[in-house]
Order: sequence, then C-alpha cells, then structure tokens
Amino acid sequence: MDTQERRATWVWLGLVGLTLGSAWLGEGQFSIGLTAVMVALIVGVKGLLVIRHFMGLTEKGSRLRLLMRLYFVVVPVLILLAGSAGLVMGA
Amino acid sequence: MELAIRAPADGVAGTVPGNRGIWVGILCELTEFALMFVAYAWFKLTHPADFHNGPAMLNTAAGVANTVVMLTSGYFAVRALAAIRRNEVTGARNWLIATLAGGIAFLVIKAFEFRWNIDHGVVGTGNSFVAMYYYLTFNHLVHVVWGCLGLIWAILRTSFGAYSPEDHEGLESATLYWHATDLAWIVIFPLAYVLR
Repeated sequence: MDTQERRATWVWLGLVGLTLGSAWLGEGQFSIGLTAVMVALIVGVKGLLVIRHFMGLTEKGSRLRLLMRLYFVVVPVLILLAGSAGLVMGA
Repeated sequence: MELAIRAPADGVAGTVPGNRGIWVGILCELTEFALMFVAYAWFKLTHPADFHNGPAMLNTAAGVANTVVMLTSGYFAVRALAAIRRNEVTGARNWLIATLAGGIAFLVIKAFEFRWNIDHGVVGTGNSFVAMYYYLTFNHLVHVVWGCLGLIWAILRTSFGAYSPEDHEGLESATLYWHATDLAWIVIFPLAYVLR
C-alpha cells in the first residue's frame, strides 16, 4: 500500500465517520436549524474529499475541478435553504 | 482519435483523470441530480409538514448501511486504480470485483428497504416527501445499475489484459463514474434520512 492508498484509507474511514455522525444528527440531537447547518457542512466536506482523494481531481487551475468543487458549495447552500422550511415546523 | 484530456502544453503539473466522454456523462448526471435537489428544496419549502415528518417514516438503518456500502465500494475502486498503476492486473481485477460487490449489495439493501417501505405503508401517494424520496432514490438506483454495468465491462477488460500502467483509461473512467454516483448519494442520504 503506497502513500496515496494509505491516505485514501484514512479518507474512507473519515467518510464513514461523517456518515455515522449525520445519522446521529438525524436522531434529533440538536435544533432543526443547527442540524441543517451541520448536515450542509458534512455534505460539503464529504463531497470535497471524494473529489480530491477518490476521483483524483488535483490539478491546480483546472476548470473541471473548480466546477466539481463549486457543486459541493452550491448544494450545501441549497440544503440550508431547504432546512429553513424545517425551522417553521420546528418552532 | 485521442480522447484523453492532457495537461496544457505549457507544462502545468497534473492531468484530469479519465476521458472527455466520461466527464460529459458525469456532468450530465450531476446536473440531473442538481435539478432534483432544487425540486426537493421547492417541495420542502411548500410542503414543510410532509418533509418534517418524512424521515421518521423511513428505515434509517438501511439508508446508513447503503451510504457506508457506497463509500466502501468507492474506496475499493481507488485501490483498483492504484493496483493497475503498479501493473498488478490480478489485484486490480479483484478490487474491481469487490467494488462491484458493493454495488450489488447496495441494490440488495435498496430492494429490502423498498419492501420494508411497502410493508409499513410508505408508498408514493399523497405525501410530497415520500414522492420526492422515491423520485431521488429510484433515479439514483438506475445510475447505480449503469455504474455496475461499467464495472463489469472494466472487470472483463482487465481480465483480458486490456489495461496497463500506461493505458488504463477505460478502468479509470468506470471508477470515476462510480465515484460520481457516490457523490449523488452523499447528498441524497441526508435529504431523505436526516434533514427535517
């Protein structure tokens, strides 16, 4: 196993940990607003980790990498927007 | 015809993995899912009660299991690519088979989950959340099937010695598509099972 594979192993373990953390958040540990913020952050981090370490998009200045990373900025914002609907119900 | 995306001629370090064709497919897939996520947000804003109560109706354990399976399968795909770069053809084939096994496990868990849903009355009528849940997960399931077919193709090509450390674009493209399917599920999981 080379350095890149060892790094990928740690990333995989981190991704699994974040998934279990998300599931824990779903049990209603925090307010709906705070849960939405944490879920959005977790989705962003997981997406960026997969793009960087699993897909291998590492080239600096690549428009493709920028586009893919932008996806995992926009989608979490959308999750926050969607989560704001839950605030109405959770109030 | 040259399909590989090469580094710019000015010598900027690194290259984009895979080929143009697979990236067109990946970007189309992610655009399709982005539109679904916008639809999800719209229905969540317009039918907040359905979405507030929705996740509690689902089998969260099945959702978590499928997420872990997808991530693990993606990790196996990384190992397959690393193996072929070291010219370990058998190792690459075995890691690809493990990746495919993850995909099949995902489909089996999803079938169990849909059966569980039916037994518990979670059907796509009269509830915006449930309709959106099936819309997202069925579409994703179709992409998983396509990804599995791509992996089978890569396994066969690897078995017949089609890939080498210098030329493994097809294998790399199959794993890239698999990771893109993983990316879509990374978003779907919290939307369906966590966010209230």
